[in-house]
Amino acid sequence: MYQESNSEFVGAQKYVLDQELASIVNISMKLEMPLLLKGEPGTGKTMLAHAITESLNMPLIVLNVKSSMKLVEALYQYDTLTRLNDSRFGDSKRNVSNIDEYIKMGKIGQAFCADKRTVLLIDEIDKADTDFQDDMLDVLDQMQFDIIETDKTIEAILRPVIIITSNAKKDLSDPFLGRCNFHHIAFPDPKMMRKIIGVHFEDIDSKLAQNAIDAFYSMREIDSIEKKPATRELINWIRALNADPDFRAKDLVKGRLPFLGVLFKKSPDYERAKNIASRRRMF
Amino acid sequence: MFLKFFYTLKEIGIPVSPTSFLVLQKALHQGIINSLDDFYTCARAILVKSEKYFDLYDQVFVHHFEGVPLPENDGFEIDEMARGMLDEWLKNPKMMADALGVDEDQLKNMSPEELIAYFKERLKDQEGEHHGGYKWIGTGGYSPVGHSGHHPGGMRVGGQSRNKSAVKVANERRYKDYSTAGPLTQAKISEALKRLRNLIPAGPRDRINIDETIRETMRNAGEIELMFDRALKDRLKIILAIDNGGWSMDPYISVVQTLFDYAGAQFKEVKTYFFHNTIYDGLWEDPARYKKPRNIIEFSRLDPDTRLIIVGDASMAPYELMASDGSIHISERSGRPSIEQLKFLAKTFSHSVWLNPVSETMWGYTHTIMAISKIFPMYELSLDGLEKAVAKLMNKN
Repeated sequence: MYQESNSEFVGAQKYVLDQELASIVNISMKLEMPLLLKGEPGTGKTMLAHAITESLNMPLIVLNVKSSMKLVEALYQYDTLTRLNDSRFGDSKRNVSNIDEYIKMGKIGQAFCADKRTVLLIDEIDKADTDFQDDMLDVLDQMQFDIIETDKTIEAILRPVIIITSNAKKDLSDPFLGRCNFHHIAFPDPKMMRKIIGVHFEDIDSKLAQNAIDAFYSMREIDSIEKKPATRELINWIRALNADPDFRAKDLVKGRLPFLGVLFKKSPDYERAKNIASRRRMF
Repeated sequence: MFLKFFYTLKEIGIPVSPTSFLVLQKALHQGIINSLDDFYTCARAILVKSEKYFDLYDQVFVHHFEGVPLPENDGFEIDEMARGMLDEWLKNPKMMADALGVDEDQLKNMSPEELIAYFKERLKDQEGEHHGGYKWIGTGGYSPVGHSGHHPGGMRVGGQSRNKSAVKVANERRYKDYSTAGPLTQAKISEALKRLRNLIPAGPRDRINIDETIRETMRNAGEIELMFDRALKDRLKIILAIDNGGWSMDPYISVVQTLFDYAGAQFKEVKTYFFHNTIYDGLWEDPARYKKPRNIIEFSRLDPDTRLIIVGDASMAPYELMASDGSIHISERSGRPSIEQLKFLAKTFSHSVWLNPVSETMWGYTHTIMAISKIFPMYELSLDGLEKAVAKLMNKN
């Protein structure tokens, strides 16, 4: 199932990859096991799947897990209404007595049926309840599922590369963990962050980048912030700073921090950061 | 291969499973692992399933491959605890000295290393005395005992228990960044309260009901008849009564505040009332407990399916609960003692719980907590307790 020799994952254009994660991704692909990624929001869990698809040139299928989701929705859907409609009016090319023609594949089904190896990203698995998680892992473990209506078994033609992300602080259930590899992405350190910024803004003024990163990390330090700003916020912030013609890079050192609303999305956090920023300016 | 490594991991307390070990063997056989660095990352990804154990894994790894000695048996935990205590000491020497029951001045003269060694000794003693499971799942604040040490009504439980709280402080420091014991944040509360809902069809009829559609179509001799349903919406009615009076609740205000914020955002039909210490004749709609009193007799008119959640430390002088004139408000003189009123509420609403921010291990020391927990099912205001309370509230019986 796994053939090409050039299919090592080495990173992508807009994704800075550390060596450790690269070898974990590669080993999970070779062992054909799902890779469970945990980490703070904004550490690039979802981006990783996109980077893999880009670098290995595989199609990406995203399953966004919702709290009310049932497993069967992710597998397939039986389109009763179209069939009912066809049987009444008889003007479609579908054969009404063939149920197969009314089965639509869900995201997992699509990944199984694809004739090319795909990357299946199961995003924010922790949103669903534990039953969903365990049942789904069975499907992924066996790489097959049944369609009850037609009594057929769908088997994966090519095992997809499965990336699962979770934001939860709580651990997932044991059977779930047993079936996948695990990695925790730590929040990038300032050096790494500088590289990430470099990838996103090629011609950025290095002083601006450094000052912005310094300010960013010192703001992450502020006590009792409920939602700490993450990489995504920093990138947007730098974008905002760049767009402002009046802005000078050295302002950041002086403690003049514009556009705090880009970094802090909750009003108590925002107020707090603003207070502290203005207090710093006085010294 | 690497059997010894595997067993060292197991002994040290990382939950590793044989299956995952086999997977590791498979990886080794496939020749994917070519260097020690590869082995380090791959073995971790395969064997260790939680970032909590990454640090332990690192220590075992350097022990196994570099020969760095492992800290002595119970060393891991105690090391971490002692470090936590040192931090605490630097922040607040007096409290720690009190908690450990030692002389502050004496400790002041020690170097950090000596201090750590001293703490370790103390911790080992502690472990001998207080075995077993503390579940310090974040009720916010380090030490309820330390904060409320001067409570006249019996919150204070003496030196011994304060020691417990010191171990607790240290315990909480372990895996500081990742542990589940952090303060209750909105996200965590929402996780716990997720199951607290009662789905009832509401809103416009815009969902197709397939079974009904087919049935009606048949009745209609094959002429399609679309049937629609309303979407399921959460219509759970909740009454939240919060003890916001008196300084015995002060240490818990932020936790309660979070719960309150969340409840307001999450549930459509939540009514919040306030009381002081315990409930007498009425509850107040305004936090100042001044403008809008509601007599609890009126509550019997409400839907008995309403879920009643009371949040309070249930700690007061016994007469406040038992005596017919226990209330400090002169207007509340119906002659019914608070305990009767509580029983009345519990009878009116069959689904009710009392959430107590006081750590469960302390309940036995306060008479009124015990008395009230006989009337309402009482749970600790922590992630664990919330989950149990929600389960109780959603219980059909």
